[in-house]
Amino acid sequence: MIEVNKNLCIYCGACVGVCPVLANRLRETWIDHDPQKCIDCGICPKACPVAAITLHKGKKSL
Amino acid sequence: MDKYDVIIAGCGPCGAMAARAAAKAGAKVLALDRRKELGAPVRCGEGIGLHWMDELGLKMNPKAVSAEINGSVLVSPDWKRRVVIRNKETKGFVVDRKVFDKDLAIEAGRCGADISVHSEVYDVIKEGGKIAGVKAIVDGKKHEFHAPVVIAADGGESTIARLAGLNTTATLYDTDFGVEYEMVNVDCVDLIEVYFSNADAPRGYVWIFPKGKDVANVGVGIGGLHAPNAKYYLDKWIKAHPERLGKAKTVAIKGGIIPVGAPMTDEAVGEGIIAAGTAAHQVDPIHGGGICLAMEAGKIAGEVAAKNALAKTCDRAHLLEYAEIYKKVREPKLLKRLKLRKVLEKLSDDDFNAIFHHLDDKDIDNLLKSNFAAVVGKMTSLLITKPGLIKTMSGLL
Repeated sequence: MIEVNKNLCIYCGACVGVCPVLANRLRETWIDHDPQKCIDCGICPKACPVAAITLHKGKKSL
Repeated sequence: MDKYDVIIAGCGPCGAMAARAAAKAGAKVLALDRRKELGAPVRCGEGIGLHWMDELGLKMNPKAVSAEINGSVLVSPDWKRRVVIRNKETKGFVVDRKVFDKDLAIEAGRCGADISVHSEVYDVIKEGGKIAGVKAIVDGKKHEFHAPVVIAADGGESTIARLAGLNTTATLYDTDFGVEYEMVNVDCVDLIEVYFSNADAPRGYVWIFPKGKDVANVGVGIGGLHAPNAKYYLDKWIKAHPERLGKAKTVAIKGGIIPVGAPMTDEAVGEGIIAAGTAAHQVDPIHGGGICLAMEAGKIAGEVAAKNALAKTCDRAHLLEYAEIYKKVREPKLLKRLKLRKVLEKLSDDDFNAIFHHLDDKDIDNLLKSNFAAVVGKMTSLLITKPGLIKTMSGLL
């Protein structure tokens, strides 16, 4: 699963567009992440233009 | 349960144009948008070419214009060569998207389309293997809206198209990621500035778009395979150029995803569903501009959707008319630009400098317009002195 730092996130939707399994959804001003769908591919942390995303490999909850 | 002829998910430039076109064609239209305030938060450089207004049959609302632009300055990586291009294609505007987008929605509303803001589409309705509407949260309550055709105009996130079964996922290679600061105390004239450098903005560029007086959008876009991130490159660039931005203060931060691969056509159409605009990667592969491309695609999608909704023929075979029109009016131009992008992204800063110094302003204008034939002679004389470049540039032939 991923963790989005809400203080860094500018809710641009980049992590949503690149997610191959639709695990990220942009709500009003935050990202809803579904750990059950997430496949730990590590793409969205690379896409995030402001380094707001951390990948927690193998975890399904924090 | 609410019934419509055409439902549009997303009411940005693409969705609003689709709504307007479909309503004008006599369809009962609903455009939904997640945001409370259309156009905000802004995610782009806000540049629009003047020629687009004619092509789309629109008049620019003066209230939406932040600054009028008369040309562009392209700066070589070593900063020693500044190419100024002033022609019909480089004339345009930097707009205020908050005004511009809302204006388009207002026009759609005037044409009879229903607009529902603060309305997040969270799923599509499927009936008998085809899309039959959307599920949305409107003012905190779940609603279902039915229509024989849905247009996914939800931008770079492209969630709705994918929920409907179209594969619009952006790959890192074919996507740029951008960050932009709106800054004050920036010396500006009536030109947009573009700084090429693979060291400063790998596979992208740094831009300064004037927003009126001493205000500008200062941003960077980088290719998705390049670490660490766009903000890192922008902060570094601003710090490295105190002579240009030493006094600048940031008054807004914006960011976004820019799918710069091939525009989707047939793949953007399914049973009862059309994806359009940035959601279907209909973005200029070189400069990443997508506002007017999205408006054009939205207009086509809206017209085709309305026609087929009224004729009760919203199967994929009929909706493919949208893709056929797009292939005629826009796809070939964008594919040509994609080819050029794939060459440009391989150039080192030394290559860039060599080309900038070897070609005159008109040659560079031709190169960027994909008029390769016009520069073959000049390029050949350069390639003879730089054999390493031959392989890279051969991609254009």
